[in-house]
Amino acid sequence: MNQTEPESTLSDDAVRHVASLARLAITNEDVTNAKKDLTAIFAHIDCLKAVDTSKVEPLDHPTELINHIRDDEPGNAFSQEQVFSNAPSVKDIYFDVPKILGGSE
Amino acid sequence: MNSIQELDVFNAFHEVWDNCSSESGSLEGMTIAIKDNIVTTKGTTTCGSKMLDGYKSPFNATVINRLESEGAVLVGKTNCDEFAMGSSTEHCAWGAVLNPWDITRVPGGSSGGSAVAVSAGLCDAALGSDTGGSIRQPAALCGVVGFKPTYGTVSRYGLVAFASSLDQIGTFSHTIEDTARIMQVIAGYDERDSTSNPDSPPTFLKDLHSPFKKLRIGVPSQYRGENNESAINDAVTDAIKTYEELGATIVDIELPLTDVGISTYYVLAPAEASSNLARYDGIRYGHRTSEPCNDLFDLNAKSRAEGFGSEVKRRIMLGTYVLSSGYYDAYYNNALKIRRLIVEEYKEAFKVCDVILGPTTPTVAFKIGEKSDPVSMYLNDVYTANTNIAGICGISIPCGFSKEYGSPLPVGLHLQAAWHDDAKLLQIAQMFESTTEFHSAKPDSYS
Repeated sequence: MNQTEPESTLSDDAVRHVASLARLAITNEDVTNAKKDLTAIFAHIDCLKAVDTSKVEPLDHPTELINHIRDDEPGNAFSQEQVFSNAPSVKDIYFDVPKILGGSE
Repeated sequence: MNSIQELDVFNAFHEVWDNCSSESGSLEGMTIAIKDNIVTTKGTTTCGSKMLDGYKSPFNATVINRLESEGAVLVGKTNCDEFAMGSSTEHCAWGAVLNPWDITRVPGGSSGGSAVAVSAGLCDAALGSDTGGSIRQPAALCGVVGFKPTYGTVSRYGLVAFASSLDQIGTFSHTIEDTARIMQVIAGYDERDSTSNPDSPPTFLKDLHSPFKKLRIGVPSQYRGENNESAINDAVTDAIKTYEELGATIVDIELPLTDVGISTYYVLAPAEASSNLARYDGIRYGHRTSEPCNDLFDLNAKSRAEGFGSEVKRRIMLGTYVLSSGYYDAYYNNALKIRRLIVEEYKEAFKVCDVILGPTTPTVAFKIGEKSDPVSMYLNDVYTANTNIAGICGISIPCGFSKEYGSPLPVGLHLQAAWHDDAKLLQIAQMFESTTEFHSAKPDSYS
C-alpha cells in the first residue's frame, strides 16, 4: 500500500488541495489559519506513531454486532412536497442547480 | 411562574416550545429539553449551524416519538457546538451558552445548552449526544448527571450524524433515578438504526436502589494526571473514600492508552465527520450561497464555506486529510488499530473491576474565550473520548466543588462500565448519590 510519511508542516498547496477535496472555498487568510491549526493538531496526533500496531488488525466499529437489516418492504414515504420543503431552489419537480456541463454560462 | 424564555439568561435554548400537551405514561409531566441536533417535526433543527438555519425536519427522531408516547413534555431545542463539535458551546452559530454557576465561564460542550437547561432548573431533564464526551463533560462542568449509554443502546435514527461509530444519544438530569426512568423509555432496538442493539434493553429501575454487592472499583494511575486541578484530584480521592466506606474494594489498574486516546479520537471522529458532512451540498437542503457560481463544484464549495463555522471546517479538513491518498494508512488505519488496542485494554480492566473511576475532566469550567487554540480545547476530553472509541457506557455525577476561583464550580466523577452494563453502572452511581448531597446543590440562579 502507498505509505507516505506525514509532513511536519503543511504547505499552502497541501491545505488548498485538502480544501478542494472537502469542497470548501478557501481564502488566503483561511489557508494561513488552517495551516497553523492543522500543523499544531498533527504535532499532537503524531504521538500515535509511537504505538506499536505492527501486529494489530484495524477495528472499524466498537461493537461486534452484525448489521440487522430490516425486511425490504415499502413503508411510509415522504411526499414530494416534504422532500422539497427544505430545498434552497426548486423548479417544477426538480432540485434546481447551476449548469454543470459545457463550462460557465 | 415565569416562562423558560424569560428565565433563560444563559442562551441554553435556541427555541422554546409553548403549549406542550402531555399524554399519560411513565414520564407524564416530565419536562425534557432536546439538543438541537436531534430532529423534531416541531420547530427547527439547526445543529447550532447557519448551514441548517430554519431547517424543518419532515420526521421525528425515534427518541422523540418514544418520549412523547410516555407523556414527556418536550420544551424546546437546546444550543450546542456546531454539529456537536466542541467542548465549550462557544462554537454555536446562535451565540455562546453561559454556565449558571458563573456566567463568565463555559458550560462545557458540545451539549452545553442541555446541561445548562437542567442545571439552571429550566426543565427536569434533557437529551444530548456524546461522541467523545459531549454529555459527560458539560454535565461535570454544570453539576448535573450526564449519562452516555453503551453504543447501540439508544437508536440514533434522527440524530444528525457527526461520527457514526462514536455517536450515542444520552441524558442529563438532576438524579440518577430520572436518568433511569428516561433510559427505560428510549433504550431498545429500532429497525431504523441497523447499529442499534437487537437484545432487550436492561431493566434500569429494578435494582437501582439496591447496593451492588462485592463492588470492585478500578482506579487507573493514568487518571491522576499532573494536569488535573488539585480540587479535581481531591474530590475524586474523597469519592474513592465514600465508596470504600460503602464496602467497595479499590483495585489499582493501568490504562496506558489513556493519553493517546484523544489523538486517536481526533483522527477517527474528523474522518467520519468529513464523510458525514459531505451531504451539505447547498442543493437538497441547507444553506446555498447567493454568490454567482460557475458550476456545481463552485456552488458546493461556496455554500459550504459560508454555511459552516470555523471549527467544523477545521475538522472536515483534518478528516479529509487523514483519509486522503497517501495518508490513509499512516493516520486513519493506524488509529483504527489503536482503537482495537483500547478495546482490549478495557476488556482486561473489566476482568478485575466492575467500574472504572476517575475525574470526568481535568479542570472545572474555564473562562469563555480562555481556550482559543484547538489542541488545548481538545484536551478537555482526555478522560471521556476512550469510552466512545470502545463503545462502552459512562456517567458523570456531581462529586464536589472547586473554590479556587471564587464562586463554587462543580466537579464531575466519571464512572465507566463494560459493554451493556448500563443498568449496573447506574446502580453503582446511585450508591454514591444516595450517600452524598452534591447532586442537590443548585447555582444561585436556579429557577
